[in-house]
Amino acid sequence: MASIDIEGIRKSFGAFPVLHGVDLAIRDGEFVVLVGPSGCGKSTLLRMIAGLEEVTAGDIRIDGKRVNDLAPKDRDIAMVFQSYALYPHMSVADNMSYSLRLRRSTKEKIASAVSGAAAKLGLDPLLERRPRALSGGQRQRVAMGRAIVRQPKAFLFDEPLSNLDARLREQMRAEIKKLHGDLRATSIYVTHDQIEAMTLADRIVAMHGGVVQQVGTPLDLYDRPANLFVAGFIGSPGMNFFEGRYLVSGDHADLKLENDVTLPARRVGGIESGEPATLGIRPEHVVITEGGALEGRVDLIEPTGFGIIMHVTVHDVPLKVFTLNRAMLNPGATVRLDLPRDKLHLFDGEGRRLG
Amino acid sequence: MTHAAHHPATKPFRKRFADAAEPYLYSAPALILIVAVMLVPLVLGISYAFRDIQLLNPFSGRFIGLDHFRALGQDQAFFRALRNTLWWTGASVFLQFVFGLILALLLDKPFAGRGLAQALCFLPWAVPSFLAGLNWAWLFNPVIGPLPHWMYAFGILDAPNNILSDPQLAMWGPIIANVWWGIPFFAITLLAALQAIPRDLYEAASIDGAGPVQRFISITLPFLAPTIAITILLRTVWISNFADLIVVMTNGGPADRTQIVASYIFTQAFKRLDFGYASAIALVLLVLLLVYSLLIVLLRQTLLNKD
Repeated sequence: MASIDIEGIRKSFGAFPVLHGVDLAIRDGEFVVLVGPSGCGKSTLLRMIAGLEEVTAGDIRIDGKRVNDLAPKDRDIAMVFQSYALYPHMSVADNMSYSLRLRRSTKEKIASAVSGAAAKLGLDPLLERRPRALSGGQRQRVAMGRAIVRQPKAFLFDEPLSNLDARLREQMRAEIKKLHGDLRATSIYVTHDQIEAMTLADRIVAMHGGVVQQVGTPLDLYDRPANLFVAGFIGSPGMNFFEGRYLVSGDHADLKLENDVTLPARRVGGIESGEPATLGIRPEHVVITEGGALEGRVDLIEPTGFGIIMHVTVHDVPLKVFTLNRAMLNPGATVRLDLPRDKLHLFDGEGRRLG
Repeated sequence: MTHAAHHPATKPFRKRFADAAEPYLYSAPALILIVAVMLVPLVLGISYAFRDIQLLNPFSGRFIGLDHFRALGQDQAFFRALRNTLWWTGASVFLQFVFGLILALLLDKPFAGRGLAQALCFLPWAVPSFLAGLNWAWLFNPVIGPLPHWMYAFGILDAPNNILSDPQLAMWGPIIANVWWGIPFFAITLLAALQAIPRDLYEAASIDGAGPVQRFISITLPFLAPTIAITILLRTVWISNFADLIVVMTNGGPADRTQIVASYIFTQAFKRLDFGYASAIALVLLVLLLVYSLLIVLLRQTLLNKD
């Protein structure tokens, strides 16, 4: 177990920069999820920690020791790959024991480590099989088993569940969380799936365009997104946005849209009256009520079983509403809506959070 | 349709004949071609082995049974050719394979100008074998070629002589030419196999703690094994039949020191014009190579079944 410190990490492929100075301190035993759209640099960052990519600038420390110039094998980390990268010509047991055999561990130690990991992951009946005789989920487990036999300082996961179907992904997600609860090993997990990020992480690192956008607990990112990118990326269905000008009148404030419609906003600091701003509200926070201040034209109804996603148009701006009210399956042509002030998010012209 | 199916016997004879003959007629062009081009010469060639056929003797041509094979059993030149064939094939295949593998591993790594280097490395394969043989014969010739002088300067030779005329060393001449000529074959096939190995396996192994040598042994070699087996089998059969370079460079000499079975057959058939005896030797070589191929195929089957 170990802490991992990342200071001012930059990475360029040739002249093309992909990471613009990342700072991150990961505590011992913490589960950190790097999340972002594809191409945001999250996998590159993980591969640099693993030693598979060279560091252009900055320092990586594992357990206080600078590892920039160490080979992957000397960093004492384990990695689970998206493709699993199992050795096809070795049995499951040999796949799991490979790292221990390379380190010339004793036969007894190898046997006990493999059987311990196999028991944790339910791999006992499969130990003599070759990877090609396994299902996707089983291969995933073997990849996990290969990582845990060695008890490394840290686990790195590179989109490990992307190749599984939805049901299996859900199941493995829970197992990874349980496993982390048992082992308490420092883990860095890369995913583009915000549900995985929300459910697994102690802390989420949201990345975009090679820059860290926000670091915080899952609920931090959900409740107080630091900027427009995080607000739009976290949450499903995604947050609704209205662009306009922030107008202060007395002790309350409004957002004036381009078509001169005004929406209620909150009085916040850091912005002057008349400046451009963006108002955000999550679909689940929009209230459908008889006396609502806004009228929405219903465009589309998407029942998910659990709830209903309604696509409505308010003053020519599309808006998504999530409701548990089954009556909304047949809502009629229009609905009255309210945007509760305490659920509103405000962002300035540069997309930074206000208030 | 249903009517016809109920009364198959009522179909006219020509229709039934056409139905029966249809598949044979479709395959006839290919079959006739194979029989005419491959089987007829093969059977004729085998029949020569049991007949007395000498091109300059108009009275030859009668059936003589196993006489050629009895003579072959006493023919010391044949047994020396057999030993030379083993030496020639073994050394050529081994060196071609080793250098081909090294070349493939070098070309697998990305570097500036790799495309050009690949094209250049594969060039010898495009050179006609007779041209390659002549070229190497000249290179080994101390009058016009630099190699004897270089080898003398390095202390490999006592004097800048032509190794092709030295009975102890002559076989190395065609072997070196053959290695130069055949490396690209191994390099191309092994490079293709190398590039099919998923890169993340190497990454997983390096994180698991494997150094370059261990990665080569535990990932590269197992992935290359099937390709290695089949290419070595092919090249062995090929090279043991491959007399071009020897005929051009040494013509079997000096004193039959570089005579292999294939060049011995060539000598018997086209120098002594004894087609019957040459066919008998060819038949023995064919049987030996068949046995060898069969053994390799069996070996491969058992290895695959063990999986």
